[in-house]
Amino acid sequence: MTEASVLLVSGLLLLVARVPVGFAIGAASVLALLPSMSPEPALMTVAQRIAISFDSFVLLAIPLFVLAGELMNRGGLARRLIELARRGVGGVSGGLLQVHIVASMLFGAIAGSAVATASAVGGVLQPRLREEGYAPGVGAAVNVASATTGLVIPPSNVLIVYSLASGGVSIAALFLAGYGPGLLMGASLMAVAAWLARRGRFAPDREAADPPAAGRVLSALPSLSIPVIVMGGIVGGVFTATEAAAVAVLLSLVLGLAYREIRLRDLPAILRDSAATTGSVLLLIGTSMALSWVIAYGRIPQEVASALLSFAHDPLWVLLLLNVTLLAVGTFMDMTPAILIFTPIFLPVATGLGIDPVHFGIVMVMNLCIGVCTPPVGTVLFVGCSVAGVTLGQAVRPLLPLYGAMLVTLAVVTLAPDISLALPRWLGFVP
Amino acid sequence: MSRARARLDAALGAALAGLMALAVLNVLWQVASRYVLQSPSSFTDELARYLLMWIGLLGAAYGVGQRLHVAMDLWPARLDARVGGALALVADAGVLGFALVVWVVGGGRLVALVASLGQTSAALGVPLAAVYAALPVSGLIVAAYVLLGIVERRRERAGETS
Repeated sequence: MTEASVLLVSGLLLLVARVPVGFAIGAASVLALLPSMSPEPALMTVAQRIAISFDSFVLLAIPLFVLAGELMNRGGLARRLIELARRGVGGVSGGLLQVHIVASMLFGAIAGSAVATASAVGGVLQPRLREEGYAPGVGAAVNVASATTGLVIPPSNVLIVYSLASGGVSIAALFLAGYGPGLLMGASLMAVAAWLARRGRFAPDREAADPPAAGRVLSALPSLSIPVIVMGGIVGGVFTATEAAAVAVLLSLVLGLAYREIRLRDLPAILRDSAATTGSVLLLIGTSMALSWVIAYGRIPQEVASALLSFAHDPLWVLLLLNVTLLAVGTFMDMTPAILIFTPIFLPVATGLGIDPVHFGIVMVMNLCIGVCTPPVGTVLFVGCSVAGVTLGQAVRPLLPLYGAMLVTLAVVTLAPDISLALPRWLGFVP
Repeated sequence: MSRARARLDAALGAALAGLMALAVLNVLWQVASRYVLQSPSSFTDELARYLLMWIGLLGAAYGVGQRLHVAMDLWPARLDARVGGALALVADAGVLGFALVVWVVGGGRLVALVASLGQTSAALGVPLAAVYAALPVSGLIVAAYVLLGIVERRRERAGETS
């Protein structure tokens, strides 16, 4: 267990010194190997683990989905989806907040990342929320919480990461399993938003009085062909997740050009920026995979498993214990490294107790969705606050009831595996 | 912004855009060759993986230059004003150390090892050393960005006091 103590101490010191997380994880992995390995093989091992983790066709789906999201963002897709959402739920109590949640879910069902959703949908709606008299913190909080629904609703980059970390759980099954829990999470957020709106006595919405013109709603419909083609293609076995992502890039580019929002000369900058975003995600993936190897080398998963199982035998208690641990982990760790590091440790425990790996993946992602909305490390929280121009302090209070809704949904989905597994089972992806 | 940084940004940005475009076209070609031409391409899977390695590592290096990597912010703002400069140096040292020791030295050894074995890839026939070279090359770029950042901060401070 020397590996574990060196990892913890050096990792924490590096993080406190504000070394970027991806680099800190890598450096801690090297240091943890030093007590049992001479320096040269230790260095080469970590370098090789990083390189090998990128040597994956599946993983290429991530930059491609990032690129598709960037194209949709600049292609005015968020605005069109918002019009569509206004048509649907603009008249409900807290109209614009409801529109925000539905638009985030729609955008999340097309793009694969919560950060992209928070900046694309929030970027359009936050100024409007302010105009209509919503307290700025409330708008930011709703943006942050609803952006995470896109991590559960497919396609989702973090579910691809989980598939990788779990050693090949079917991406199609995971994607299908995300629909039920993702919709449930959206619905519970909408309920809280209605309550927030009533309690805050915000100015009456203009949304209900002024529904969007039919033409503007119709122009959003072609964008909805993207999730249909992407998910239909994956589920129907027409193409793999990576191929679907490339098709999504093509479709969103064509739409952006057709809407006359993207010009061909913008493309180099869009490609470059998506590669840069990809780089920061992939660095986390590469070094987390190296760390995960070090953890396995130190036989830490076996130790944790036996400790956990000596503590609780009932699957429900173990799931509860794992959930509490992951909630704590999620507040301090970004979602991608958390999935890559903790899946190899926790998944064997879960499957050993007869818990379905697809269901466990959904529970894990939903759990960590709460973590990305909480300080001190909450990537979506930071983006949501900066898009709305509010401080963390202003957003955290209205976030409290939304955290509550997310926790309740997590508990319900954990206890009722059918919410996630019914759809993939019906289509034959899960036994 | 120094001229050296502007040049590095431009060159790296162009390389990343090119690799990314190639990655998209490559995967689309894989789909097209399977369904339209009815003869699945033999090289696209391999090319995709190698492109990802270069995009990931060069993209991460570019991210260092653009300050895209997330760090934890645990220091209260007041303390930060006093020791911020020293702290930034410590964080820089962490990034620089990891890039030089693991990417450049560890990755360099890896490239040398693969090169000495003369391994080439199965479908494309490219030397594997050229694929793994992404590690030391990106490591050097990270080092360049970190050093540029230190020099620029120092210049700024000199400008403020004079």
